[in-house]
Amino acid sequence: MPSSTSSSEPKGLGSPQQHSPLRDVPAGPWPRIAWAGVLVFALLLGGWEAYWRSQWFRPSYRNSDGLWALTHERIASEGGRGTLIVSSSRLLFDVHLEAWREETGQLPIQLGLEGTSPRPFLSQVARETNFSGLVVVGVTPPLFFPPPRGERMSALALTKQWSPADRWSQHLSMRFVEPYFAFYDPDTALFTVIRRQAWPARAGLEPRMPRVRKLSTTRITRQNDMWDRVERDPAYQKIARDTWLAFLNAPRPNVPPEVLKKGFEQLLAEVGEDVRRIRARGGEVVFVRPPSSGPFLAAENGGFPRERTWEPLLQATNAVGIHFEDHADLGDVELPEWSHIRAADTDRFTRALVRHVRAALVAKGTPREELGR
Amino acid sequence: MVFNSLTFGVFFALVLAFHHAPGVSWRAKKVALLLASYLFYAAWNPPFVALLWISTFIDWQVAKRIHTAESRGARRSWMLVSVFANLGILGYFKYGGFLLANWQALMRSLGVEWQAPTWDIVLPVGISFYTFQTMAYSLDVYLRRAEPTKSLLDFSLFVTFFPQLVAGPIVRPVDLVPQFAAPPAPVPGRFAWGLSLMTLGMFQKVTVADGLLAPAADAVFGAGQALHWSDAWLGTLAFSGQIFCDFAGYSTIAIGSALCLGFSIGDNFRYPYAAVGFSDFWRRWHVSLSTWLRDYLYVPLGGNRKGPGRTYVNLMLTMLLGGLWHGASWNFVVWGGLHGLYLAVERFVRERVGPNRFAHTWLAQVALAMLTYFLVNLTWVFFRAREFGTAWGMVRSMLTFGDGARVLPTADVALVIGTVFAILLAHGLMRERRLEDVAARAPWWLNALVVGAMLFSVVISQGSSNAFIYFQF
Repeated sequence: MPSSTSSSEPKGLGSPQQHSPLRDVPAGPWPRIAWAGVLVFALLLGGWEAYWRSQWFRPSYRNSDGLWALTHERIASEGGRGTLIVSSSRLLFDVHLEAWREETGQLPIQLGLEGTSPRPFLSQVARETNFSGLVVVGVTPPLFFPPPRGERMSALALTKQWSPADRWSQHLSMRFVEPYFAFYDPDTALFTVIRRQAWPARAGLEPRMPRVRKLSTTRITRQNDMWDRVERDPAYQKIARDTWLAFLNAPRPNVPPEVLKKGFEQLLAEVGEDVRRIRARGGEVVFVRPPSSGPFLAAENGGFPRERTWEPLLQATNAVGIHFEDHADLGDVELPEWSHIRAADTDRFTRALVRHVRAALVAKGTPREELGR
Repeated sequence: MVFNSLTFGVFFALVLAFHHAPGVSWRAKKVALLLASYLFYAAWNPPFVALLWISTFIDWQVAKRIHTAESRGARRSWMLVSVFANLGILGYFKYGGFLLANWQALMRSLGVEWQAPTWDIVLPVGISFYTFQTMAYSLDVYLRRAEPTKSLLDFSLFVTFFPQLVAGPIVRPVDLVPQFAAPPAPVPGRFAWGLSLMTLGMFQKVTVADGLLAPAADAVFGAGQALHWSDAWLGTLAFSGQIFCDFAGYSTIAIGSALCLGFSIGDNFRYPYAAVGFSDFWRRWHVSLSTWLRDYLYVPLGGNRKGPGRTYVNLMLTMLLGGLWHGASWNFVVWGGLHGLYLAVERFVRERVGPNRFAHTWLAQVALAMLTYFLVNLTWVFFRAREFGTAWGMVRSMLTFGDGARVLPTADVALVIGTVFAILLAHGLMRERRLEDVAARAPWWLNALVVGAMLFSVVISQGSSNAFIYFQF
């Protein structure tokens, strides 16, 4: 409290004049200062934009929670029908939405989120929407089978509460900023750049996971294409691979087998309930295991053996599953950083995937009109 | 909507265009400002605009009735209507869950098992600010400090004025309402200076608070484990800088945007980390709240007029309630209690020691300022930590050089140390100065460079419309 809490001092507020906080404007040519400031800003920003364009960056939409929420709203606006993709990054990158549309006549609703378990999103669709179409669930074993976690769980909150102001900002950004500026990318944010520099290691600090660098560019449909730098710049490709190696080699918590077993049983029960709810509305769920290679594939097959994870999942849900190892045309793709398909192969992969899903559903006796023909 | 968003940019441009349009009457401009303020608030959660209307209606009616009441009892009754209505709204939305949880705990301690009903109430943003602001209007009339305004439009605009609606500064009616009476006289450079202040505020919020300091504070306070003393200190220092830059940034944008519209709002911060002692700190930190508490709580409680004992009680009570104003949590009560204790001890020492020449030497002033900053930082631990146990663990580690986990990488260590040092240096240098005087003395091109560079850093920081910390209060 100010020392003037002393009530023996004048209480003030006696008259408007006494308390009017009229501010003065400092002497100086302020209009000129403001215009010159804008000029300085424009010059600096121009230089910054030019620099990032020289580093392979091009204007593209941000893979933001807001774009995800707008895409999610298609569930309601399209009457809860059509095809929906819930996944972590693999089906986000690997499915070519236009190719899917050409094969089926419908543009899928792409709700994949990188580095994030799709299970809470499947539950949200099952329990909080009226979706009754086809749900394609991407299964990346290290994200799907452990307890749900992920970088992008924040997106889920927008299905419950999204203020009008944030919605307007999202539209403004997509209309006036994102399509025009290459620097407006999470990977080029000032403090992201500063923090990822090669700072000296701090004694006593436990090793930290590196931050995943930019891997894709995003279109307004949430079509994500592998960034050409990942494919064509060997140094950058090495950064991407080293990042995955750091994740793969990170120490794992030693979870007792009975805890793992109980957790897996709970997973099967929860996913089974989600699938049951969607089917009860006339929908269907298909699981897809997209391709991986190199150390990623070895770690996934070693840590999450197919017969103990994938097969029980399909059995518990009585669902169709498309595993890339079962179909040569799904595995015949190039994965520059072992985890995602290069942009040029996604068209072919997607068309093959649609054919396999369609055939498997027909074979099961549950053909879907969402897949056309 | 938040200031650091594209929506606000477009909104503010449209408001400015209409407000400065030639040929539009002053009344039409005020109506437009009022509607814009409602839109500004509704952009979070439209139904809560009704709370603004309720607050406006109650205090408009109450103040008139206080003014015309003939008996002291009637005046007092109408004043209490305002107090109970405003505190009732605040209590329902902000403290309902807290009170129920504590009642449940009390019952349990007495052996009575009682399950509190689920209290899933959304806290309307800025409710603590505008309820205090409207209550001040009725209290001013009751205390005969001001007469009720004759214009409902001006009063509604005072309650709702968007630059300071959701996080202050808490403006007094006598300071703002008269400014609505007539168009502001033109002042050369006011508009551009206002824009420069808005840029400074954005820089404080987006670049410094969110970009430089928040990640370290979040990592430390969210670590969930015992921390090494160095990390506990770094996280606390980071938060001390973050909350200042976040809140002062908001206030500066509010002041700047009001200036662009031709209105003046008083300072809310005066370089508080250069404070020497706690009464000095509260003359510099959240000035509009500390003076509000002084004028509407401490003084009516009796201030220092009822003897030394009551003075200390009043001081402590004022700060405890000031802490609780920030949020429904015992952590905030502890925060307020610590500040009350600091003020009481300072008062006690001052009264015993009296004027001291040594205390005014440069060295002693620096030492006392550092001691003040050190003790303020201890209070921030309770302010920021979600649980009392976390706060206590951190304070123990900070004071006992405790061992534990290191969670901050070198980059954040460097950014926190560099930024906090820069903030302290700036506060030290500006302690006896005003920004306006410094800007007036600087060459014009330097001011332009600083404004341009700050704006550049704001844009390339790519802040994601993070809400201001004080919105939750």
